[in-house]
Amino acid sequence: MTLEQALLDAHARHDAPALVGLYTQAADVTADNQAACFYLTQAYVYALEQGDPTATALYDRLSSQGRV
Amino acid sequence: MAKDAVSDMLGAVQQPIEHARGLANAHYTDPAHFAEEKNAVLFSSWAGLAVASDVPHVGDAKPLTFLGIPLLLIRDRTGQVRVFQNICRHRGMILVSEPKNIQGAIRCPYHSWCYGTDGALVSTPHVGGPGHNTHEAIDKSTLGLSEVRSHVWFDTVFINIDGTARPFEDVHANLIARWSIFDQPLHHGGADSRFVLDVQTNWKLAVENYCESYHLPWVHPGLNSYSRLEDHYNITEQGCYSGQGTLVYRQLTGEEGQVFPDFEGLSDHWISGGEYVAIYPNVLLGVQRDHAFVIVLEPVSLDQTCEHVHLYYAAPAVDDSLRARNAAQWRDVFEEDIFVVEGMYKGRSAPAFDGGRFSPVMDGPTHCFHDWVAGRIAAHRAR
Repeated sequence: MTLEQALLDAHARHDAPALVGLYTQAADVTADNQAACFYLTQAYVYALEQGDPTATALYDRLSSQGRV
Repeated sequence: MAKDAVSDMLGAVQQPIEHARGLANAHYTDPAHFAEEKNAVLFSSWAGLAVASDVPHVGDAKPLTFLGIPLLLIRDRTGQVRVFQNICRHRGMILVSEPKNIQGAIRCPYHSWCYGTDGALVSTPHVGGPGHNTHEAIDKSTLGLSEVRSHVWFDTVFINIDGTARPFEDVHANLIARWSIFDQPLHHGGADSRFVLDVQTNWKLAVENYCESYHLPWVHPGLNSYSRLEDHYNITEQGCYSGQGTLVYRQLTGEEGQVFPDFEGLSDHWISGGEYVAIYPNVLLGVQRDHAFVIVLEPVSLDQTCEHVHLYYAAPAVDDSLRARNAAQWRDVFEEDIFVVEGMYKGRSAPAFDGGRFSPVMDGPTHCFHDWVAGRIAAHRAR
Protein backbone atom coordinates (compact mmCIF):
# COMPACT_ATOMS: atom_id res chain seq x y z
CA MET A 1 0.00 0.00 0.00
CA THR A 2 1.33 3.42 -0.88
CA LEU A 3 1.78 6.07 1.76
CA GLU A 4 -0.89 8.15 0.06
CA GLN A 5 -3.37 5.26 0.20
CA ALA A 6 -2.49 4.60 3.83
CA LEU A 7 -3.20 8.24 4.65
CA LEU A 8 -6.53 8.15 2.85
CA ASP A 9 -7.49 4.98 4.69
CA ALA A 10 -6.49 6.47 8.05
CA HIS A 11 -8.55 9.57 7.31
CA ALA A 12 -11.51 7.41 6.29
CA ARG A 13 -11.50 5.59 9.61
CA HIS A 14 -10.67 8.74 11.62
CA ASP A 15 -7.58 7.02 12.96
CA ALA A 16 -5.75 9.97 14.46
CA PRO A 17 -2.85 7.98 15.98
CA ALA A 18 -2.15 6.48 12.58
CA LEU A 19 -2.36 9.90 10.94
CA VAL A 20 0.34 11.23 13.27
CA GLY A 21 2.69 8.47 12.23
CA LEU A 22 1.86 8.57 8.53
CA TYR A 23 2.16 12.34 8.18
CA THR A 24 5.44 12.24 10.09
CA GLN A 25 6.62 9.54 7.71
CA ALA A 26 5.56 11.67 4.74
CA ALA A 27 7.60 14.57 6.12
CA ASP A 28 10.59 12.33 6.62
CA VAL A 29 10.66 10.94 3.08
CA THR A 30 10.16 14.10 1.07
CA ALA A 31 13.10 16.15 -0.11
CA ASP A 32 10.91 19.21 -0.45
CA ASN A 33 11.13 21.31 2.72
CA GLN A 34 7.90 23.11 1.92
CA ALA A 35 6.06 19.81 1.64
CA ALA A 36 7.78 18.51 4.77
CA CYS A 37 6.47 21.45 6.79
CA PHE A 38 2.98 20.82 5.47
CA TYR A 39 3.14 17.18 6.57
CA LEU A 40 4.70 18.05 9.91
CA THR A 41 1.88 20.50 10.53
CA GLN A 42 -0.68 17.80 9.82
CA ALA A 43 1.09 15.37 12.13
CA TYR A 44 1.47 17.98 14.84
CA VAL A 45 -2.21 18.93 14.86
CA TYR A 46 -3.40 15.34 15.18
CA ALA A 47 -0.83 14.71 17.90
CA LEU A 48 -1.89 17.85 19.72
CA GLU A 49 -5.54 16.82 19.56
CA GLN A 50 -4.81 13.47 21.17
CA GLY A 51 -2.36 14.67 23.76
CA ASP A 52 0.23 12.49 22.02
CA PRO A 53 3.66 13.19 23.54
CA THR A 54 5.20 13.29 20.06
CA ALA A 55 3.50 16.67 19.66
CA THR A 56 6.44 18.29 21.44
CA ALA A 57 9.02 16.90 19.04
CA LEU A 58 6.87 17.78 16.03
CA TYR A 59 6.45 21.31 17.37
CA ASP A 60 10.21 21.59 17.79
CA ARG A 61 10.78 20.49 14.18
CA LEU A 62 8.33 23.10 12.93
CA SER A 63 9.83 25.70 15.23
CA SER A 64 13.31 25.04 13.85
CA GLN A 65 11.90 25.96 10.44
CA GLY A 66 10.22 29.09 11.79
CA ARG A 67 6.79 27.64 11.12
CA VAL A 68 5.09 28.03 14.52
CA MET B 1 -51.29 45.82 23.14
CA ALA B 2 -49.89 49.21 24.09
CA LYS B 3 -46.65 49.10 26.04
CA ASP B 4 -48.20 51.12 28.87
CA ALA B 5 -50.94 48.56 29.26
CA VAL B 6 -48.37 45.78 29.44
CA SER B 7 -46.41 47.72 32.05
CA ASP B 8 -49.58 48.15 34.06
CA MET B 9 -50.04 44.42 34.06
CA LEU B 10 -46.54 43.99 35.47
CA GLY B 11 -47.51 46.48 38.12
CA ALA B 12 -50.50 44.35 39.03
CA VAL B 13 -48.19 41.36 39.50
CA GLN B 14 -46.00 43.32 41.88
CA GLN B 15 -48.83 44.32 44.20
CA PRO B 16 -49.04 42.76 47.68
CA ILE B 17 -50.17 39.19 47.33
CA GLU B 18 -53.69 39.94 48.60
CA HIS B 19 -54.27 42.16 45.59
CA ALA B 20 -51.82 40.87 43.03
CA ARG B 21 -52.55 39.08 39.80
CA GLY B 22 -50.26 36.54 38.22
CA LEU B 23 -48.28 37.12 35.06
CA ALA B 24 -50.51 37.63 32.06
CA ASN B 25 -51.01 35.00 29.37
CA ALA B 26 -48.61 36.71 26.97
CA HIS B 27 -45.69 35.88 29.26
CA TYR B 28 -46.36 32.24 28.52
CA THR B 29 -47.71 32.18 24.99
CA ASP B 30 -46.30 35.14 23.04
CA PRO B 31 -43.01 34.65 21.15
CA ALA B 32 -42.18 38.33 21.50
CA HIS B 33 -42.50 38.11 25.27
CA PHE B 34 -40.37 34.95 25.26
CA ALA B 35 -37.68 36.78 23.30
CA GLU B 36 -37.81 39.67 25.74
CA GLU B 37 -37.69 37.29 28.67
CA LYS B 38 -34.51 35.69 27.35
CA ASN B 39 -32.62 38.91 27.86
CA ALA B 40 -34.52 40.29 30.82
CA VAL B 41 -34.74 37.14 32.90
CA LEU B 42 -32.56 34.31 31.66
CA PHE B 43 -29.44 35.92 30.18
CA SER B 44 -29.02 38.58 32.85
CA SER B 45 -29.28 36.31 35.89
CA TRP B 46 -27.51 33.14 37.03
CA ALA B 47 -29.37 30.50 35.05
CA GLY B 48 -28.87 26.80 35.54
CA LEU B 49 -27.24 25.05 32.59
CA ALA B 50 -26.17 21.60 33.75
CA VAL B 51 -24.48 19.82 36.63
CA ALA B 52 -20.76 19.49 37.16
CA SER B 53 -21.27 15.72 37.38
CA ASP B 54 -22.06 15.81 33.66
CA VAL B 55 -18.30 16.21 33.14
CA PRO B 56 -16.79 14.17 35.98
CA HIS B 57 -13.30 13.68 34.56
CA VAL B 58 -10.59 16.08 33.42
CA GLY B 59 -11.06 16.70 29.70
CA ASP B 60 -14.72 15.69 29.66
CA ALA B 61 -16.60 17.94 27.27
CA LYS B 62 -20.33 18.09 26.64
CA PRO B 63 -21.99 20.25 23.99
CA LEU B 64 -25.20 21.91 25.16
CA THR B 65 -27.64 24.45 23.82
CA PHE B 66 -29.12 27.14 26.00
CA LEU B 67 -31.91 29.15 24.37
CA GLY B 68 -30.35 28.54 20.99
CA ILE B 69 -26.79 29.37 22.03
CA PRO B 70 -24.33 26.54 21.37
CA LEU B 71 -22.26 26.02 24.51
CA LEU B 72 -19.51 23.67 25.59
CA LEU B 73 -19.35 22.42 29.16
CA ILE B 74 -15.84 21.20 29.91
CA ARG B 75 -13.64 20.22 32.84
CA ASP B 76 -10.23 21.70 32.13
CA ARG B 77 -6.81 20.28 32.91
CA THR B 78 -6.87 21.81 36.40
CA GLY B 79 -10.25 20.26 37.17
CA GLN B 80 -12.18 23.51 36.87
CA VAL B 81 -15.57 23.30 35.18
CA ARG B 82 -15.91 25.97 32.51
CA VAL B 83 -18.42 26.98 29.86
CA PHE B 84 -17.48 28.29 26.43
CA GLN B 85 -19.41 29.24 23.37
CA ASN B 86 -19.01 26.09 21.30
CA ILE B 87 -17.67 27.77 18.19
CA CYS B 88 -14.32 28.23 16.53
CA ARG B 89 -13.08 31.82 16.48
CA HIS B 90 -12.12 31.32 12.82
CA ARG B 91 -15.31 30.58 10.89
CA GLY B 92 -17.81 30.00 13.66
CA MET B 93 -17.93 26.26 13.14
CA ILE B 94 -19.34 24.11 15.93
CA LEU B 95 -16.32 22.66 17.71
CA VAL B 96 -17.68 19.68 19.62
CA SER B 97 -20.82 17.95 18.41
CA GLU B 98 -21.08 15.07 20.87
CA PRO B 99 -19.90 14.35 24.42
CA LYS B 100 -16.26 13.26 24.46
CA ASN B 101 -13.08 13.36 26.47
CA ILE B 102 -10.54 15.85 25.20
CA GLN B 103 -7.20 14.06 25.49
CA GLY B 104 -5.11 16.96 24.26
CA ALA B 105 -6.71 19.84 22.43
CA ILE B 106 -10.10 20.74 21.02
CA ARG B 107 -9.61 20.57 17.26
CA CYS B 108 -12.06 22.36 15.03
CA PRO B 109 -13.26 19.82 12.47
CA TYR B 110 -13.22 22.47 9.73
CA HIS B 111 -9.70 23.98 9.45
CA SER B 112 -8.25 22.36 12.58
CA TRP B 113 -7.62 25.42 14.69
CA CYS B 114 -6.88 23.92 18.12
CA TYR B 115 -7.80 25.11 21.60
CA GLY B 116 -6.73 24.02 25.06
CA THR B 117 -9.32 22.92 27.58
CA ASP B 118 -8.81 26.35 29.15
CA GLY B 119 -10.01 27.91 25.90
CA ALA B 120 -6.63 29.21 24.75
CA LEU B 121 -6.01 29.09 21.01
CA VAL B 122 -2.91 26.92 20.69
CA SER B 123 -2.56 26.15 16.99
CA THR B 124 -3.61 27.70 13.69
CA PRO B 125 -2.39 25.23 11.09
CA HIS B 126 -1.51 26.62 7.67
CA VAL B 127 -2.89 30.03 8.64
CA GLY B 128 0.04 31.73 6.94
CA GLY B 129 -0.07 29.36 3.93
CA PRO B 130 0.77 25.65 3.61
CA GLY B 131 3.13 24.64 6.39
CA HIS B 132 3.21 28.18 7.79
CA ASN B 133 1.31 28.10 11.06
CA THR B 134 1.44 31.71 12.12
CA HIS B 135 0.62 35.04 10.56
CA GLU B 136 1.24 38.48 11.98
CA ALA B 137 -2.44 39.32 11.61
CA ILE B 138 -3.51 36.38 13.73
CA ASP B 139 -2.74 37.02 17.39
CA LYS B 140 -3.55 33.77 19.14
CA SER B 141 -3.58 35.44 22.52
CA THR B 142 -6.69 37.40 21.52
CA LEU B 143 -8.53 34.53 19.86
CA GLY B 144 -9.27 32.10 22.65
CA LEU B 145 -12.70 30.58 23.00
CA SER B 146 -15.41 32.95 24.19
CA GLU B 147 -15.97 31.99 27.81
CA VAL B 148 -19.36 32.28 29.44
CA ARG B 149 -19.34 33.46 33.03
CA SER B 150 -20.11 30.45 35.19
CA HIS B 151 -20.28 29.37 38.80
CA VAL B 152 -20.71 25.93 40.33
CA TRP B 153 -22.73 25.55 43.51
CA PHE B 154 -24.62 22.52 44.77
CA ASP B 155 -23.03 20.69 41.82
CA THR B 156 -25.09 22.94 39.57
CA VAL B 157 -23.43 24.90 36.79
CA PHE B 158 -24.95 28.37 36.72
CA ILE B 159 -24.22 30.74 33.84
CA ASN B 160 -24.64 34.44 33.39
CA ILE B 161 -24.80 34.93 29.65
CA ASP B 162 -24.69 38.72 29.50
CA GLY B 163 -22.06 39.05 32.22
CA THR B 164 -23.96 41.71 34.16
CA ALA B 165 -25.14 39.78 37.20
CA ARG B 166 -23.60 40.46 40.58
CA PRO B 167 -21.32 37.62 41.74
CA PHE B 168 -23.23 34.42 42.42
CA GLU B 169 -22.08 34.33 46.04
CA ASP B 170 -23.58 37.78 46.55
CA VAL B 171 -26.86 37.15 44.76
CA HIS B 172 -27.46 33.89 46.57
CA ALA B 173 -25.70 34.57 49.87
CA ASN B 174 -28.94 33.94 51.73
CA LEU B 175 -29.54 30.44 50.38
CA ILE B 176 -25.86 29.54 50.62
CA ALA B 177 -26.02 30.44 54.32
CA ARG B 178 -29.40 28.77 54.86
CA TRP B 179 -28.11 25.49 53.45
CA SER B 180 -24.51 25.83 54.62
CA ILE B 181 -24.76 22.53 56.48
CA PHE B 182 -25.01 20.85 53.08
CA ASP B 183 -21.76 22.42 51.92
CA GLN B 184 -20.16 19.00 51.88
CA PRO B 185 -19.55 16.46 49.15
CA LEU B 186 -22.64 15.64 47.12
CA HIS B 187 -22.20 12.31 45.38
CA HIS B 188 -24.18 11.89 42.20
CA GLY B 189 -26.03 8.58 42.24
CA GLY B 190 -24.90 7.75 38.71
CA ALA B 191 -26.75 6.64 35.62
CA ASP B 192 -29.87 5.48 37.43
CA SER B 193 -30.06 8.73 39.35
CA ARG B 194 -30.47 11.03 36.38
CA PHE B 195 -33.48 11.29 34.11
CA VAL B 196 -35.06 13.80 31.80
CA LEU B 197 -38.73 14.72 31.56
CA ASP B 198 -39.88 16.48 28.40
CA VAL B 199 -42.84 18.66 29.21
CA GLN B 200 -45.06 20.69 26.91
CA THR B 201 -45.09 23.82 28.96
CA ASN B 202 -43.43 27.14 29.52
CA TRP B 203 -40.52 26.80 31.94
CA LYS B 204 -41.98 29.29 34.42
CA LEU B 205 -44.96 27.06 35.12
CA ALA B 206 -42.63 24.28 36.23
CA VAL B 207 -41.05 26.71 38.70
CA GLU B 208 -44.41 27.91 39.93
CA ASN B 209 -45.75 24.44 40.55
CA TYR B 210 -42.58 23.26 42.27
CA CYS B 211 -42.28 26.01 44.80
CA GLU B 212 -45.68 25.74 46.47
CA SER B 213 -47.09 23.00 48.68
CA TYR B 214 -50.74 23.93 48.11
CA HIS B 215 -51.16 21.27 45.45
CA LEU B 216 -49.61 18.39 47.37
CA PRO B 217 -52.78 16.79 48.82
CA TRP B 218 -54.43 16.79 45.41
CA VAL B 219 -51.64 15.99 43.02
CA HIS B 220 -49.36 13.95 45.30
CA PRO B 221 -51.66 12.08 47.69
CA GLY B 222 -48.86 9.59 48.31
CA LEU B 223 -46.70 12.29 49.84
CA ASN B 224 -49.63 13.66 51.78
CA SER B 225 -50.10 10.32 53.51
CA TYR B 226 -47.06 10.97 55.68
CA SER B 227 -46.19 14.61 55.13
CA ARG B 228 -49.40 16.52 55.60
CA LEU B 229 -50.09 19.93 54.19
CA GLU B 230 -50.04 21.39 57.66
CA ASP B 231 -46.50 20.09 58.14
CA HIS B 232 -45.29 22.40 55.37
CA TYR B 233 -44.12 25.99 55.51
CA ASN B 234 -43.49 28.60 52.85
CA ILE B 235 -40.02 29.82 51.97
CA THR B 236 -39.84 33.22 50.31
CA GLU B 237 -36.67 35.23 49.79
CA GLN B 238 -37.60 38.21 47.66
CA GLY B 239 -35.60 38.44 44.47
CA CYS B 240 -33.68 35.20 44.98
CA TYR B 241 -35.60 32.02 45.64
CA SER B 242 -38.79 30.58 47.02
CA GLY B 243 -40.18 27.22 47.87
CA GLN B 244 -41.50 25.06 50.63
CA GLY B 245 -40.23 23.14 53.58
CA THR B 246 -41.62 20.18 55.44
CA LEU B 247 -41.25 19.42 59.11
CA VAL B 248 -41.74 15.74 58.40
CA TYR B 249 -39.43 13.83 56.10
CA ARG B 250 -39.71 10.08 56.09
CA GLN B 251 -36.60 8.17 55.09
CA LEU B 252 -36.85 5.50 52.47
CA THR B 253 -36.20 2.15 54.15
CA GLY B 254 -35.19 -1.11 52.51
CA GLU B 255 -36.69 -4.50 53.24
CA GLU B 256 -33.90 -5.23 55.70
CA GLY B 257 -34.17 -1.85 57.36
CA GLN B 258 -31.33 -0.25 55.42
CA VAL B 259 -31.38 3.51 54.87
CA PHE B 260 -29.13 5.94 53.06
CA PRO B 261 -26.35 7.44 55.18
CA ASP B 262 -27.02 10.93 56.48
CA PHE B 263 -25.09 14.03 55.55
CA GLU B 264 -22.69 14.93 58.32
CA GLY B 265 -23.35 17.27 61.20
CA LEU B 266 -27.07 17.83 60.70
CA SER B 267 -29.15 19.59 63.32
CA ASP B 268 -32.46 18.21 64.57
CA HIS B 269 -34.23 20.47 62.08
CA TRP B 270 -32.60 18.69 59.18
CA ILE B 271 -32.96 15.23 60.70
CA SER B 272 -36.73 15.55 60.76
CA GLY B 273 -37.47 17.80 57.78
CA GLY B 274 -36.59 18.81 54.25
CA GLU B 275 -36.64 21.88 52.05
CA TYR B 276 -37.43 22.39 48.38
CA VAL B 277 -36.67 25.67 46.68
CA ALA B 278 -36.63 27.17 43.22
CA ILE B 279 -33.49 29.24 42.86
CA TYR B 280 -34.36 31.81 40.25
CA PRO B 281 -34.66 31.59 37.41
CA ASN B 282 -34.70 27.90 36.53
CA VAL B 283 -33.16 25.53 39.05
CA LEU B 284 -35.18 23.44 41.49
CA LEU B 285 -33.37 22.03 44.51
CA GLY B 286 -34.31 19.69 47.29
CA VAL B 287 -32.47 18.68 50.46
CA GLN B 288 -33.18 16.02 53.04
CA ARG B 289 -31.05 14.33 55.68
CA ASP B 290 -29.87 11.55 53.38
CA HIS B 291 -30.14 12.77 49.80
CA ALA B 292 -30.61 15.84 47.68
CA PHE B 293 -31.68 16.58 44.16
CA VAL B 294 -31.16 19.15 41.46
CA ILE B 295 -33.57 19.79 38.60
CA VAL B 296 -32.30 22.05 35.85
CA LEU B 297 -35.20 23.36 33.80
CA GLU B 298 -34.06 23.78 30.22
CA PRO B 299 -36.29 26.36 28.52
CA VAL B 300 -36.18 24.74 25.10
CA SER B 301 -38.78 27.05 23.66
CA LEU B 302 -41.84 29.03 24.59
CA ASP B 303 -43.88 25.88 25.08
CA GLN B 304 -41.31 23.17 25.69
CA THR B 305 -39.27 22.51 28.80
CA CYS B 306 -36.79 19.74 29.55
CA GLU B 307 -36.48 18.84 33.20
CA HIS B 308 -33.02 17.39 33.90
CA VAL B 309 -33.24 15.58 37.22
CA HIS B 310 -30.19 14.49 39.29
CA LEU B 311 -30.14 12.71 42.65
CA TYR B 312 -27.26 12.98 45.12
CA TYR B 313 -26.19 11.13 48.23
CA ALA B 314 -23.93 11.69 51.22
CA ALA B 315 -21.66 8.79 50.34
CA PRO B 316 -20.03 7.80 47.06
CA ALA B 317 -21.66 4.37 47.13
CA VAL B 318 -25.11 3.62 48.52
CA ASP B 319 -27.37 0.58 48.46
CA ASP B 320 -28.13 -0.16 44.80
CA SER B 321 -31.70 -1.33 45.19
CA LEU B 322 -32.60 1.47 47.56
CA ARG B 323 -31.06 4.05 45.21
CA ALA B 324 -33.07 2.64 42.31
CA ARG B 325 -36.26 2.74 44.40
CA ASN B 326 -35.56 6.30 45.39
CA ALA B 327 -35.06 7.37 41.79
CA ALA B 328 -38.27 5.62 40.76
CA GLN B 329 -40.17 7.22 43.62
CA TRP B 330 -39.04 10.73 42.72
CA ARG B 331 -39.71 10.09 39.07
CA ASP B 332 -43.28 9.13 39.96
CA VAL B 333 -43.68 12.34 41.97
CA PHE B 334 -42.29 14.57 39.22
CA GLU B 335 -44.38 12.81 36.60
CA GLU B 336 -47.47 13.45 38.69
CA ASP B 337 -46.80 17.14 38.14
CA ILE B 338 -46.70 16.95 34.34
CA PHE B 339 -50.45 17.11 33.74
CA VAL B 340 -50.58 20.22 35.93
CA VAL B 341 -47.83 22.20 34.22
CA GLU B 342 -49.08 21.14 30.80
CA GLY B 343 -52.67 21.90 31.77
CA MET B 344 -51.79 25.36 33.04
CA TYR B 345 -49.92 26.01 29.81
CA LYS B 346 -52.96 25.10 27.73
CA GLY B 347 -55.02 27.29 30.02
CA ARG B 348 -52.87 30.29 29.17
CA SER B 349 -54.56 30.37 25.74
CA ALA B 350 -57.88 31.28 27.34
CA PRO B 351 -58.32 35.02 26.73
CA ALA B 352 -60.42 35.46 29.86
CA PHE B 353 -57.57 34.40 32.13
CA ASP B 354 -56.23 37.50 33.81
CA GLY B 355 -53.16 36.02 35.45
CA GLY B 356 -55.17 34.55 38.28
CA ARG B 357 -55.41 35.39 41.96
CA PHE B 358 -53.15 34.05 44.67
CA SER B 359 -54.04 32.52 47.99
CA PRO B 360 -52.44 34.98 50.40
CA VAL B 361 -51.61 32.08 52.69
CA MET B 362 -50.64 29.27 50.33
CA ASP B 363 -49.26 30.96 47.21
CA GLY B 364 -46.56 33.18 48.66
CA PRO B 365 -43.69 31.31 46.99
CA THR B 366 -45.38 31.51 43.58
CA HIS B 367 -46.11 35.20 43.98
CA CYS B 368 -42.51 35.76 45.05
CA PHE B 369 -41.36 34.24 41.74
CA HIS B 370 -43.87 36.25 39.69
CA ASP B 371 -42.80 39.40 41.46
CA TRP B 372 -39.16 38.67 40.58
CA VAL B 373 -39.93 37.96 36.92
CA ALA B 374 -42.06 41.08 36.63
CA GLY B 375 -39.35 43.15 38.26
CA ARG B 376 -36.69 41.87 35.89
CA ILE B 377 -38.85 42.61 32.86
CA ALA B 378 -39.80 46.05 34.11
CA ALA B 379 -36.15 46.89 34.76
CA HIS B 380 -35.22 45.64 31.30
CA ARG B 381 -37.86 47.81 29.68
CA ALA B 382 -36.72 50.81 31.65
CA ARG B 383 -33.18 50.62 30.26
